[in-house]
Amino acid sequence: MHPVQLFCWHFMAYPYLPDDFDARYDSGWVTVPNTLWDRDRAGELYQEYIDQLVYADELGFDGMVLNEHHQNIYGLMPSPNIIAAALTQRTKRGKIVVLGNLLPLHRNPLRVAEEYAMIDNMSGGRLIAGLAIGGGPEAFNYNVPQPQARGQFWEAVDLIKRAWTEPGPFEHEGKYYPLRYVNIWPQPRQRPHPPIWIPGALSLETMEETAKRGHDYFLSSRAHGPATKRAAQRFGEIIERHGGTFHPFRMGLLISVYVSESDEQARTESREGVWYFIKNTLKGHLRNQGRMLTFGVGVPSMTVTSYENFLKNARPEGKMLGDCDSWDELDAFGSIIVGSPATVRKRLWELIEQAQIGNLLIQFHFGNMQDKLARKSMRLFATEVAPALRRDSADLFGRNFPALGDAALAGAAQ
Amino acid sequence: MIRALDIAGHAVAVAEVGSGEPLVYLHGFADLHGSSSDYLPFHHGLAAKVRMVAPAHPGCNTSDENEEIDTIEDAVFHYLQVLDALGIGGCHLAGASIGGWIAAEIAIRIPERVRSLALIGATGLFVPQHPIADIFMMVQSKNGGDYSDFRHTLFRAADAPEALAMFPDGRMPAEREILRYRMFRFASRIGFAPPYLHDRKLRDRLHRFAGPAVVIAGERDNLVPLAHARAYAQGLRNAELKLVAAAGNSIAIERPNEAAAAVLACIDGAVAKAAVA
Repeated sequence: MHPVQLFCWHFMAYPYLPDDFDARYDSGWVTVPNTLWDRDRAGELYQEYIDQLVYADELGFDGMVLNEHHQNIYGLMPSPNIIAAALTQRTKRGKIVVLGNLLPLHRNPLRVAEEYAMIDNMSGGRLIAGLAIGGGPEAFNYNVPQPQARGQFWEAVDLIKRAWTEPGPFEHEGKYYPLRYVNIWPQPRQRPHPPIWIPGALSLETMEETAKRGHDYFLSSRAHGPATKRAAQRFGEIIERHGGTFHPFRMGLLISVYVSESDEQARTESREGVWYFIKNTLKGHLRNQGRMLTFGVGVPSMTVTSYENFLKNARPEGKMLGDCDSWDELDAFGSIIVGSPATVRKRLWELIEQAQIGNLLIQFHFGNMQDKLARKSMRLFATEVAPALRRDSADLFGRNFPALGDAALAGAAQ
Repeated sequence: MIRALDIAGHAVAVAEVGSGEPLVYLHGFADLHGSSSDYLPFHHGLAAKVRMVAPAHPGCNTSDENEEIDTIEDAVFHYLQVLDALGIGGCHLAGASIGGWIAAEIAIRIPERVRSLALIGATGLFVPQHPIADIFMMVQSKNGGDYSDFRHTLFRAADAPEALAMFPDGRMPAEREILRYRMFRFASRIGFAPPYLHDRKLRDRLHRFAGPAVVIAGERDNLVPLAHARAYAQGLRNAELKLVAAAGNSIAIERPNEAAAAVLACIDGAVAKAAVA
């Protein structure tokens, strides 16, 4: 039996912005002045957020997801590894998914290999090691030239894997990270190494490079619906072209959820947090209003060919998640699902059935959402949504992917 | 008008026009290759008097991108190869904006081959407390297609007619979008880190170039503070500083006649001096 894996993702947003933030500031990223940080109120914030992730573990989620961002209000984890280390001591069961460390921002990838190996040992082998390249805001945060970032990234990915699997010391003769002695202590607990997840936003280059190496792909794009299904099909085709076998657990997907007793109550309770998330934290990232920094001419990470395709396919000024202005638009966008257990179950089931993706990474806490509301939504999800999704998906995946019965693949799925 | 040169397996697009003294011109952002696939009035102004040879930087216009170019040093050695391939022993050298930076770096390395040097709104120097503006952030439009901050950075004002014509709001035709994208890929390679578009060591090396030079700067340059033009003029051994009124960083576009005249005057001066010698 291989049911869908349900993870709880926490971004750890900054919740104490002034009410007129959107009117007064161009961006929640890079240039957002840190004089807005309220030292008195924010002191307890990490504790509150860590407690919510511990609660997810108690509720039976399959894991907890963290990620790295810098100098912004969207996600307060410049080092997700520090939160991961805390979780190793407070949780017992769920995977700890760090998605991921932004490799081009690290001067030496061995530091990532070392810290991940520590977390893997400290957690009893529960680490899922996300390795990510970083987007436009991060390019500005750490002045990372984008045309070279991909080359740097893949060299670092390969070096980390070698550091975990090949006997040391050995020499790494890389272009970006030449090292005479690669010989990390500790080695990770999992064999041959912790699962490696690579996030991507629909670019074929990333899928290709991920598949070639046998790693798993996490779709970080907020464009759901048919695009998700297409992405899964493409990744499946690419894996098979490289001689691998596609199954739902080769891919993950980011989705956001708020559950309450009824659709109407869900909207009422989540209104403040959801719209704070959309209008404030996405400003500068996935919103045209203000200055969007995530991709474009100033942070030219795409090859010229990819950019040509982007111009062909994307409508000028096409809507992004942050441009949604009403609940209906939000519903149509498909990335944030707010409703009763039945509604949420139905929408997620459509997604699972359509895209056949086995790892759902779900955001429950939005912007300045109150702790008790985030917990309520998580609890209702765990008790009234998750069981049906697990049961139905196990049937579906069992029918469509009989190879999941193989021991080797089952190992990969776990 | 554009031919392709092969440099170590990479095509380099070279635009050449006019006859007379050879002038190698290295383009900037608002320029031939950087944002236009055709000559602009400034280039015709030069070509009326000299043989202008204008290669497109690696990756720009129809030049191949070169994955081996990561630093200004790589760009300079690329151009040394270009000069050799063109069979140009000695030449006049001019550059605008980022092209001015590269021109200055070439001149200090091979001063004996550079008969005169013209820097137009050149980036390249680190001047404490006078940072080069963040053109990379400014080219990210506001509110889904408002490029006024970008135009302001490259021109004297966001609503200057030449600025609006070259970089209008909204999506441009794909060909022009791609030209701009290619230009920024190149600029990012050599000039995104350290921020931005400079080499800390250049200033102390400027004295190596003792030939005739002109440093041309727009009085209303919003990309490169005027302190940089003064530092260039001071650091080069034999440079004249020429400030152009009512121009920003893209002087060659904003005041094409004046910019071309200043470059040509420097070339004339060098030629006359060489004749006397």
